[in-house]
Amino acid sequence: MDAVRISHVTRTFGSVTAVDDLSLTVPQGSIYGFIGPNGSGKTTTMRMIVNIFYPDRGEIRLFGDGRPENSTDLIGYLPEERGLYQRMTVQALLEFYGELRSGRGVKAEVTRWLRRLDLAGRASDKVETLSRGMSQKVQFIATVIPEPKLLLLDEPFSGLDPVSAEAIRSAILDLRRHGVTVILSTHDMHLAETLCDYIFMIFRGRKVLDGTIGSIQDRYGEDTIRVTASGGFAAMQQLPGVDQIRDLGQVVELRLTRGADPQEVLRALVAQARVTSFSLTKPSLHDIFMRIAGLAAEEANHANA
Amino acid sequence: MQMHKITTIAKRDYIATVRTKAFVFGLVVAPLLFGGGSIAMTFFKGQPDLKDRRVAIVDHTGVVAGPLVSAAREKNDRELFGKMTHRQIAPRYVFEVIAPAADSKDQLLALSGRVRRKQLAAFLEIGKDVLRPPKPAGDSEEETSEKTNPDTRVSYYTNAGGIDEMRNWLNGPINDGVRLTRLAQLGIDIDKNKGLTASVTIEGLSLVERDEKTGEVHEAQKRSEMAGFFVPFGVVMILVMIVMVGSAPMLQNVTQDKSQRIVETLLGAATPFELMTGKVLGAVGVSLTSSLLYVLAGAFAVNALGIAGLLPLSIIPWFYVYLLADMVMLCAFAAALGACCSTPQDAQNLAIVLLMPCIIPIFMLVTVLRQPNGVLATVMSLVPPFTPILMLLRQAMPTGVPAWQPWVGLLGVVVFASATVWAASRIFRVAILMQGKPPRLAEMVRWAMKG
Repeated sequence: MDAVRISHVTRTFGSVTAVDDLSLTVPQGSIYGFIGPNGSGKTTTMRMIVNIFYPDRGEIRLFGDGRPENSTDLIGYLPEERGLYQRMTVQALLEFYGELRSGRGVKAEVTRWLRRLDLAGRASDKVETLSRGMSQKVQFIATVIPEPKLLLLDEPFSGLDPVSAEAIRSAILDLRRHGVTVILSTHDMHLAETLCDYIFMIFRGRKVLDGTIGSIQDRYGEDTIRVTASGGFAAMQQLPGVDQIRDLGQVVELRLTRGADPQEVLRALVAQARVTSFSLTKPSLHDIFMRIAGLAAEEANHANA
Repeated sequence: MQMHKITTIAKRDYIATVRTKAFVFGLVVAPLLFGGGSIAMTFFKGQPDLKDRRVAIVDHTGVVAGPLVSAAREKNDRELFGKMTHRQIAPRYVFEVIAPAADSKDQLLALSGRVRRKQLAAFLEIGKDVLRPPKPAGDSEEETSEKTNPDTRVSYYTNAGGIDEMRNWLNGPINDGVRLTRLAQLGIDIDKNKGLTASVTIEGLSLVERDEKTGEVHEAQKRSEMAGFFVPFGVVMILVMIVMVGSAPMLQNVTQDKSQRIVETLLGAATPFELMTGKVLGAVGVSLTSSLLYVLAGAFAVNALGIAGLLPLSIIPWFYVYLLADMVMLCAFAAALGACCSTPQDAQNLAIVLLMPCIIPIFMLVTVLRQPNGVLATVMSLVPPFTPILMLLRQAMPTGVPAWQPWVGLLGVVVFASATVWAASRIFRVAILMQGKPPRLAEMVRWAMKG
């Protein structure tokens, strides 16, 4: 059964179409990554799934035929803009959110989660005394108590230090193992690649990518060469069959023009520099993202110029 | 709609509010603010200016000034010192009788100068014809000329502002003096008939009732100003105070939740209607808590003052019905307005709009107190936003209201409160996640209609 089924959904705000005829299916028990530039429609899509916004057209169904308005108890939602009652104690706040969603006491679960995310010692402290990272962890706990069937996390890792980020990442994977479906939005392409089973990219309200990372990369084929050579970035100029060169610091990434032969590129490269490593790969998610969003941004800049 | 969500939100908001120092402080400060005026008046009334009030009298009749000076002397003997403390508690009235000068204008100018130099508090000019009784009514032309003729009246010259107690007091002794002199001129021995000008008391009484069980006729009870004015006024002011103090924080509360980004997290777990209803119920709970305190304090005060009998007990259930209805109406309205604001400053600017349903009836209190069953009072008390305050005021007055009116008023209030909650929840839902400039009224109406 699909956890979320979005069919031809459109949502406008005045003259702006935030989400345009979107259809998407999120399988139960998967981690689905929403990517896209700022203002592309990720948050609006999430808010419609959570029933904060209503679609102007189309429909959203959860776990079969469930309507979002009847399913709020099944959903845990972590908004991008975090907000907690500052004057409440951590324990009281988490019990409030748990009780709000489940209608029962959640004291034991709160204690367990506080211990797990290393916040047990701060249970009786007021939220206003916590650091930003700690507050974010508290907000994450508020989202997962009591355990939801569908978890929507809007930028869950932003502003977290590596240790806290790892704790949240491990918690997400653990929840998935318990059958929870996770939808998360992120600007961290590496994280999306490594954590998510499926990637959905929305751009200017329209779906531009949807599938597993493998299937998305397959669509672009092996058109990327990662190379290290003496002379670095400067030595890579004027290579035949190369469409774009990207300096990653230690490595230079070359994108081949359609139909170009990598062997020809290697030969030309060896002729003008000493090559120490050369690998032919599929494009990274970051590269794909940039190809879609970066190109459009360039076009927009040209149009404005 | 899930009740547990509403009650959970209501419980949190209630506890968060009643635990604050601001709530406890407000409980004490609000009655002082509302009752401050009368408390200050009572206090300053007990601290009068004890400087002598010197008044010059230019008596063109030659006979009215004498009784006036005697009356002032009697007043000084009677009221100058407190009976228990023997300390001076009132200013001494001192009269200086001055013979009329040939040039009246010069004399008036000189006396005005003395008032300006504060040598006198005022001066009186008693017209030479004040003793001549006015002609009987009928000849309007003659009547007008008599009224405008300075010789037929007493002129009181002063530069004192505000309420002039001296002038109020003079009215009695001067008229007594004039009447007695007129009677004396008719040959009546006024020394033997001093009570001729004494006033009679008009005593206010309630209606005579027959006990339905025993058939016994109950005599009419004494009715004081207290019953007719202060008790209804007090009951209504307690209601207004609780409603205003209880509903005003809602605006800030919602705006704060919005500006601190708490709302979106809450909306992930509850619908906008559940969230708003929970918040409204929380505020109603807070106002019921404060009402309990004020009602108990009011009952204690009424009992201590020995005026418990003046308060119709049947008013208490109505008090609570109107309190609940008014709170629900205003809090829903406040939640919708709060949702439209992005900053506490926006909310502050809109606070006056929110208080309109309380302020407009307050302006009408005097009209209703004068004619509780007049057309205006009846109609305005049946306009739902004003019903809780104005109908309660009319019900608390000794005249009462026809039995159907509170029920019709209540029906209107329930319908209006439900419509307010419905419209407010629609505005709330649209506005709560919006940022930037507050919407215009037309937009809010459109959201309420179309959702």
